[in-house]
Order: sequence, then structure tokens, then C-alpha cells
Amino acid sequence: MSFFIKKISRRAIMQALIAMPALQLFRKLPDSDRPDADPDEIVVVNGWVLKRSDLA
Amino acid sequence: MIFDSYEAYRASDFKPKVCILGSGPAGTTIARKLGAAGIPVVVLEAGSREFSDESQEFYRGTTVGDPYFDLDITRLRFMGGSSNHWAGWCRVLDKQDFEPKTWAPDTGWPISRADIEPFLPEVHDILELPDFRPDVPISDDIRWVQLIKSPAVRFGEKFADELDKSKNIALVLNTYATELAGDGKKVTGARLWSNGKDAGAFSADYFIVCTGGLENSRLLLWSNQRSNGGVVPNATALGRYWMEHPTFEGGNAILADYSEFEVDAVNEAFFSPTLAAMERLQIMNFGIRLIETPYAGVKSLIADLACTAPDAAEWVAYQLSQNLRCAAQLYVAWEQAPLASNQIELSKTDVDHAGVPRIELHWKKLPLERRTILEGLKLFGTTLIEKDLGRVRIMDWLANGQDYPTDEELAGHHHMGGTRMGTDVTKSVVDANCKVHGMDNLYVGGSSVFCTSGECNPTTTITALACRLGDHLSKVVGV
Repeated sequence: MSFFIKKISRRAIMQALIAMPALQLFRKLPDSDRPDADPDEIVVVNGWVLKRSDLA
Repeated sequence: MIFDSYEAYRASDFKPKVCILGSGPAGTTIARKLGAAGIPVVVLEAGSREFSDESQEFYRGTTVGDPYFDLDITRLRFMGGSSNHWAGWCRVLDKQDFEPKTWAPDTGWPISRADIEPFLPEVHDILELPDFRPDVPISDDIRWVQLIKSPAVRFGEKFADELDKSKNIALVLNTYATELAGDGKKVTGARLWSNGKDAGAFSADYFIVCTGGLENSRLLLWSNQRSNGGVVPNATALGRYWMEHPTFEGGNAILADYSEFEVDAVNEAFFSPTLAAMERLQIMNFGIRLIETPYAGVKSLIADLACTAPDAAEWVAYQLSQNLRCAAQLYVAWEQAPLASNQIELSKTDVDHAGVPRIELHWKKLPLERRTILEGLKLFGTTLIEKDLGRVRIMDWLANGQDYPTDEELAGHHHMGGTRMGTDVTKSVVDANCKVHGMDNLYVGGSSVFCTSGECNPTTTITALACRLGDHLSKVVGV
């Protein structure tokens, strides 16, 4: 993977990442399937202090 | 007048009313106040005009408990004292730092912030400070506070000419007061060490101990032991309730707008909790030092991505071999809960060249303090979310309950407590005027009188308290 990354521009990587719905693969979503989850609830994920909607 | 040796001083006919031990910020400030009031004062400084390894060696000691700095590098033993390595950060303790915290035993001072505020204009002149701006609340829980990076006045350098020309102040260098003698009501004299040998007894009407936040306790513990309790008659708290400002990198932050908080010359901004937040969470005061490292170009894109997809941003940064997890570092320093067992003791086995037992410092951080910084960073993170200002990441060691790092700053070199101020003689050493309980002519200056530490650097408060003590003594001693 590192070899592939180095062969393409950083901007291309970023644009691809931002567009990719596959970003979910890199996230750990606590209770993400809870239908009653408050989007403004504060959650701590891997040390990040986030609101739940950050993870949507 | 400045004398480079006690022998030279003895050859003069100077007759002091007051003897100050130590020429750091507290000692120098009190001497200047007394000198200006026409009161003859001698300042005995153990070191010389410059740093020397030989002088520092007297400061060696040991620490038991949490990792701490070597005691001979965390302070300086020469003219001007530890102001010679002061970084210059200035802020006065908060109003609430003087008030008791019901959830933390042995907090609260016998004076309020209002008692030292009249002296702040003098402090600003001494430390060459602009006016402080008021704190800015950015949420119900977090205040944006100001620490001024001052020119870091070296008291020895700044006031050398003034002291040298003064007719009322005699600064005597290379003169170490190894012990005070007392009869339980008054200090009757001091034992001096000069030029590598005992230099006899010294007397004055009043003695002011300003030898630093570690050494004040050491001198009084040793003096009291030698005088069978005649120097500090109520010695239960002597050496106890010692405090520092532990300091660690606690997290990172991504900010949406790097102009939101005005930063100082070194890209830093500071944040502390509101009283309401401390009360609600039952935590101590803390300071978050945000050090900005804004990125440009694609690095900025990654930082932006990290706001909404932190794992992905971290993964990209890793793949690019870039440490781009954040655009700001968050260092935390905090107020320690006063604890009697955090204390300075005299070594039973090790003495300095003059025969005075060295310090054995017992120091540990408490679980309450750990909770304070964890909750504090969550509060700061929540505030950034609520105000749509950015996101915070708490460091792994803190979020996962691991040990404190041992490869970081550890603490601020701020030595507080040991001769704390109070009304309860079992839990304090000096009264609200910094006079040792039960003694008519013995006072203490410096951060060893602090009852609590607050979160900010102590020099501004030390200087304000010294102005106040100098003012008080000018009235007590008279001309």
C-alpha cells in the first residue's frame, strides 16, 4: 500500500478519500445503527471527542 | 550596597533591622520595599553573582514517589535565585484558587485575591508586564485565559545597580544561613557559613525566609530540629502540602479557523475551566496550552478531513509518512490537590558541605488529578464542538488509563507549599501576613506559603505576595 500511495499525488489521494463512501471501513462507529441516537451526542472514539453526527 | 563576602560585610558598620535570607523574586522585592521605607535590611544570598557547580551542589537531594527533576537542577542558587532560569510566563492566581473547594480537602486561603490586587501595579512594573485582559468565556465550561510571556526579569541583573547604590539595603553574597535559632517566641539569631567554613552567629530584629519553595522548608525543618521546636513551634504542617504543576502533552486538536484565538508570539493560547465546571465535575483547576501548527496545502486538507473522519485522516497521514494527525498540540498543566503526605523531609543519611541534611522530597500525583485532565480535555473538546471550532483528540496514554509518560516535561519547576498560609496551626505554618505561627519576628516569603497552586505559573503571585509582605513589614518594623 505504501508503494501505491507514493506513486500518486497527495491531492488525488485526498480527493479520492473524501469522495469514497468506503471511508466507513476505517472508522469505528459506536452504536452507529441505533435508530434513536442523538446526532449531537458527544462520543469519544479512539480518543477523539466528537459528536455522533461526525460519524454519520 | 553589595558585598561579595560576609567578611567584607562585617568590615562595614551597617546595622540592619531586618535580615532576609535569599535574593530571588520574593527576597529582592521585600528588600526593595523595606529599603524604600527607610528600613535597613540585609539580604544574605548563599550563592555568588554567577552560577557555579559548587554552589548548586548544596541543592542536591532525592525524590521518593513519582518521577521528578533532580533537585539541583530544578532551582538556582545564586544572585536572583530561580528567576535566572524563569521562562517568563505571567498570570495571577484566579479568584477561585483562593476559595475552598468543598470536594478537595485542605483547599482555600485565609486571604482572597482582592488582598493582593492592590499590589498588581507594582508587580507589573517589576516584571515589565502590560495589563492583563479579562478572561473570555467561550462556553459555560471553558475560559480563554491569558498568560503573558514577559521579558523574564532576572532579579539579580535587573536590580543589581539599584541594590548597589542603596544605603538601606546590604546584599551579602556567598553567605549561607545554615540554621536559625529560636526560643519558641522569637528567632534569636542565624548561623552562617561563608568561605567554606562556619562564620558565626548573626542577629537582627526580624528574619524573613525567602530561600525558595523547597529550601524554605528545609531550613525551617533543620532549624526547628536544632532548636527543639523553638523556630516553628507549631510544626505539624511544616514541609507538608508540597505542590507542583505537573505538565504533559494530553491531546491534539484540529481547528476550523486558526484565527479564532489570538495566539502569542510562539503560537500559543491558553484555556481553563470555569468555576461552574469545576464544581459540577468536582475537579481541580487546569490549564490547556494550545500550540498551533497550522498546515498549508494538502496537509491542510488532511487536517480538515480529520475533523469529520479522524481515523481516515490518521490512516492517510500514516501512509504519507507524515505526522499530520492534528494541527495543534494540547499540553495540560494542573492544580494539584493539597496532600499532607506530599512533603519535604530531611535526609537521615546525606548532608551538604555545611552539614545541613539534604532534602528528601516525597511527591505523588493523585487520581483526582488524573480525572481532572481527562475531564478537562473532554470539556475542551465538547466546547470546540458546541462552538463549531474544531475537534480534540485525547492522547492514548490518558484515554486508555496508561501510566504518565516519562519522556516529557513532567512538571513546571514550580515549588509550592511546605510552609503554607492558614489559620489552623495544625495545617499551616504561617498566618495571613506570612508570619510563622507563634513567632514574633519570623516571616516567610515565596511560593512555599501557597495553600493551593492554581494552574498558572507562580512568579506573578509570588511577587504580588512579596509586595504585600514588604508593605506589611514596613508598617510593623517602622523606621
